[in-house]
Amino acid sequence: MKAESINAFYSATQDVFHLMLDLGVERGEIKIVDGLVSSKDANVILGVTGDLKGTILFSFPKNMTLEMVKIMSGMEMNTIDGFVSSALGEVANIIGGNAATNLTTHNYICDIVPPQVIVGQYESLSLANRNALQIPLVTDIGEFDINIFLAEK
Amino acid sequence: MMWKERYRVGVDLIDEQHMELFKRLSNFIQIVQNDIPWEKKMGEVQETLDFMADYVVYHFDDEEKLQAEINYPDIEIHKEAHRVFKEGINDYVKIFEQGEFTEEKIKEFSAKLMAWLIMHVGKMDQKIGQYVREKGGQA
Repeated sequence: MKAESINAFYSATQDVFHLMLDLGVERGEIKIVDGLVSSKDANVILGVTGDLKGTILFSFPKNMTLEMVKIMSGMEMNTIDGFVSSALGEVANIIGGNAATNLTTHNYICDIVPPQVIVGQYESLSLANRNALQIPLVTDIGEFDINIFLAEK
Repeated sequence: MMWKERYRVGVDLIDEQHMELFKRLSNFIQIVQNDIPWEKKMGEVQETLDFMADYVVYHFDDEEKLQAEINYPDIEIHKEAHRVFKEGINDYVKIFEQGEFTEEKIKEFSAKLMAWLIMHVGKMDQKIGQYVREKGGQA
């Protein structure tokens, strides 16, 4: 998996978090993981099609998810209900769209499949024995992960 | 409060309409998220939804008129973004009209509308303010 695709998603995440949440995002050490595991409380799966094909998984802890939606809405959120999960899914979707735009500068034309949000489930998505890359990300309101599994067409 | 100072574009007409839009959306979300049973608040949700959908169109029209007046160079890109935004709203209006006017669908819609609005005002509309400032206008 090329550095371009990792940077495209990292840079899109930084931009969208800055614009929508007024938050900075710092990158931790990238790890190789076996398959995509939705290991936190709120998980968003984005499909990628086109010159790069695969799956992106965003995993957020509950408190961070609630705080993100509080920042956007200006309202206290107590549970990850349909409103919170839809807002989270849309943030991830916008990140995916911006990442796809970033990838065009490296001559990759990709589309993002609408997000699927999984709340409170610990699922493993099989990748046919192939590895994914996990980018741990740190913000002032919590830590989350982006797992990237992309292959060239 | 949903409105934040960093969303300010620096053009009074646009900022006032944005503030109104954020206020209306905030009220809408409060109605959607309160504990009143869905059946009892459906009417109010429908009323607020209709108003907001109309207000978005009214605001976009005004913004496009202003862009034409100031010869804003990215007007066509901006108009296209407005078209996509309105299409996103209309897709949901159709879903609601076709019978899926449910609490879950309204929650989904209001959350997406919030994200779209923040992204549009926080990114795209800021460029109008930047252009006006560069031209030495109000801002």
